[in-house]
Amino acid sequence: MPEKQSVLEQTAADQWKVLPSGLTVIVRPMPGYSGTHVIYATRFGSIDRDFRLDDKEVHLPAGVAHFLEHKMFEDQDGDAFAKFAKTGANANAFTAFDRTCYLFTATEQLDESLDVLLEMVGKPYFTQQTIDKEQGIIGQEIKMYDDSADWRLITGLCECLYHSHPIRSDIAGTCESIATITPEMLYDCCKAFYAPNNMVLAAAGNTTMEQILAACERNGLMEPRPAERVQRLWRDEPMTLAAKEKTLRMPVAKPCFGLGFKEEPLPSGDLRSEMLYDLILCCICGGMSKLYRRLYDEGLTNPGFGGEVLRVDGCCCILFTGESDAPDTVRQLLLDEIARVRAEGVDREIFTLCKNEKYGQLIENLENVEDSASQMADFALAGQTVAQQITTLAGLKAEDADAALQQILCEERMATMYIQPDGTAVLPEDDGEEEEA
Amino acid sequence: MKRMEIAPGVHLSWDPAQKFNRCRVSIHFALPAKRETATAHALLPLVMERGYADCPDMTQLTKKLARLYGADLTVDARPMGANHNLCVSVTGIKDQFALEGEPLTQEYAELALGTAFHPYFVGETFDPEAVKIEKQMLKKALEDEVNEKRLYCQRQANREFFGDSPAGVRQEGYLEEVEGLTARQLTDAYYEMLRAASIELIVLGCGEAQTEAVKNALLEELSQVERAPAALAENMAMPRREPLYKTETFDTTQAKLCMLFTLGQPMQPRQLAAVRLAMALYGGSVTSRLFLNVRERDHLCYYCSSSFQSFTGSMAVNSGVEHADAARAEKAVLKELADLCDGPITDEELEDCRRSLLSGMTGLEDTLGGIETWYYMEVLRGGPIQSPDEARAALCAVTKEDVRAILRALTLSVSYCLTREEGSTHA
Repeated sequence: MPEKQSVLEQTAADQWKVLPSGLTVIVRPMPGYSGTHVIYATRFGSIDRDFRLDDKEVHLPAGVAHFLEHKMFEDQDGDAFAKFAKTGANANAFTAFDRTCYLFTATEQLDESLDVLLEMVGKPYFTQQTIDKEQGIIGQEIKMYDDSADWRLITGLCECLYHSHPIRSDIAGTCESIATITPEMLYDCCKAFYAPNNMVLAAAGNTTMEQILAACERNGLMEPRPAERVQRLWRDEPMTLAAKEKTLRMPVAKPCFGLGFKEEPLPSGDLRSEMLYDLILCCICGGMSKLYRRLYDEGLTNPGFGGEVLRVDGCCCILFTGESDAPDTVRQLLLDEIARVRAEGVDREIFTLCKNEKYGQLIENLENVEDSASQMADFALAGQTVAQQITTLAGLKAEDADAALQQILCEERMATMYIQPDGTAVLPEDDGEEEEA
Repeated sequence: MKRMEIAPGVHLSWDPAQKFNRCRVSIHFALPAKRETATAHALLPLVMERGYADCPDMTQLTKKLARLYGADLTVDARPMGANHNLCVSVTGIKDQFALEGEPLTQEYAELALGTAFHPYFVGETFDPEAVKIEKQMLKKALEDEVNEKRLYCQRQANREFFGDSPAGVRQEGYLEEVEGLTARQLTDAYYEMLRAASIELIVLGCGEAQTEAVKNALLEELSQVERAPAALAENMAMPRREPLYKTETFDTTQAKLCMLFTLGQPMQPRQLAAVRLAMALYGGSVTSRLFLNVRERDHLCYYCSSSFQSFTGSMAVNSGVEHADAARAEKAVLKELADLCDGPITDEELEDCRRSLLSGMTGLEDTLGGIETWYYMEVLRGGPIQSPDEARAALCAVTKEDVRAILRALTLSVSYCLTREEGSTHA
């Protein structure tokens, strides 16, 4: 259907350019939109703990990438948030296992906002004093996540599945680990990972490639840069489990549980396998599956029960999380279903419908400026475009899923994590509480 | 957005929104919340979302949506002050992206109308089996409220703040009533909604002919209903009171603090621009006093922000704090408010906040959700409906004194703290 192809190509089209400095720039002009969303992303996340920079080995405590993200908003002139306030842009940032992203949405003064962003990330400034100052706030952030049962399930499962891979550590680190951060560490990280050739600048909305390139020019990103000699250092990670099981007690009303399967790491840039695993999970326990329906109707889990693929350099695992009064029953039902689908093959109808859903999701993500820029940046960090993703999706077959299932979701590489109520989160009474005055 | 009354108590709002890849059909039912039917109305969306007469099975419905390229069918209930709002919506990609040329928009409309007006009944009531399963889901959700400490703290504070007032009806449902609910009671609540609700049909991203077809289909459905739309509850405000300080003990890593303030009198629509700027200045933005002083300067909490609810003339300040710092944080929140009321406000901080709000308003028509939320909130608030451009103009006219007048009217009513140990948790 050539006409359809043309609508799709037009919608998914983005403009790519690799600058002499090594920076990858991707732009999607979106006519009719008032705002522009810009993401400046580096392939540097919480798992990048050990590396060689030129001839120097650097070993980081947990939480440095996230700490650096916070400190990036501060320079000698003050706070970048204050500068964004002068342009009206709404700015933010986040750190993931394998990336750090700085972003803003602007409807006016886009040039000025771009300059704030590019300058803030391009000219880092740290002192021991400013580092010490940040530890209090980040300590509070760490504690906030410590109270999240969902997050503790993920981190607990990673601790069970991995012996030494840094995915075992929380993205924000611990209060103790961040207390050891020094300015030198942060500067080393910037030198190694905030080099333009390790970064992507994605913009979608009311802008053009010319406007974005002009901002790069103003900020010295058109000139060639000497490439840093950076080598990530990985410790050996066997395919065995660090622990089969772990139990934690927290102030929750209902028990929560997680099942994690350790898989062979995927080669860098292999988004096809990740997409295939997602489709397999959809067939096994997605909303259209028999298993989901049984768990739902019998009240064995909460409606949010489901599986996800967690994949970064040197690590790939599949995690199922939910709430249940009978986690062992759910675990057995899941294992039985995996075995059945492995033996019989994925349901052809459900597989096709899952592909349909993914296609709709890709189209949806092209609709607003935030999702559009995020999707472009995500795929670009893996060296792909949205259009390539649509083509890859179209090419996936049920037989591919059947073959992959022979290799993944093996019981001998499965760990279980339980969170049990500690008894303090009893349901509140309507009356009888003390008033303090 | 164009809006017109198409029947008594029924309006159509329509925006062709051509730039989007998706379209959306939603039907909002708004009616005054009642204590006696609150739990039934909380259960209603769960049962309605499972299926409808033409597609009663939940799994088959999920497959139908997947066939429509992952179209999203949502039945969502939420409190709007003393009113209750149930929304049936279907959002999906436009026909031009259908790989086989399917008429997707037409199917979205049929799905939304089918879900809203033709629920799956067994005999004369909702399917008792579906009701039984969804009652368990509602129970679970109510029991799990305590897992999300921030939300739980806010809800507990609200319960103290609103007490027995109409805005205090727990629209999420009453746990102790769930077990006893019958399919008959749920069906009665559904018919009450059809009869008494103000209805807003919102069609976004569809052409004129498609919109006309949806409108006519809705009118056809309504011709089968004996309608008697009830007047919606007007904006209200809780009276001022001596502050109530409460502490609840949990063994959490971080304490949660929720402070609720009342305006004393219902907010008037003309005050909204000043309220928006007051919130941005006090605690609703990264250039606010709470963010810059309580979080960034004093490091008392990871988050500390204010928000205003126009239907109830109330302001909430939420923060996550060290257990030992709860009392200091509470004091700091009050001090920042007092400083804005009586101390200097610089031109720079005021303009930074105004600029940020103006920018946000300019961009809100960049998403389907942004358009729908903006206009529907305008409808529910009463008064003339402002476009984002008109609201921007109003915001530009707000002065420091307007902002101070709002902030000075806010007084603390409830301070609720979840913390590990009893003790000096309040200032």
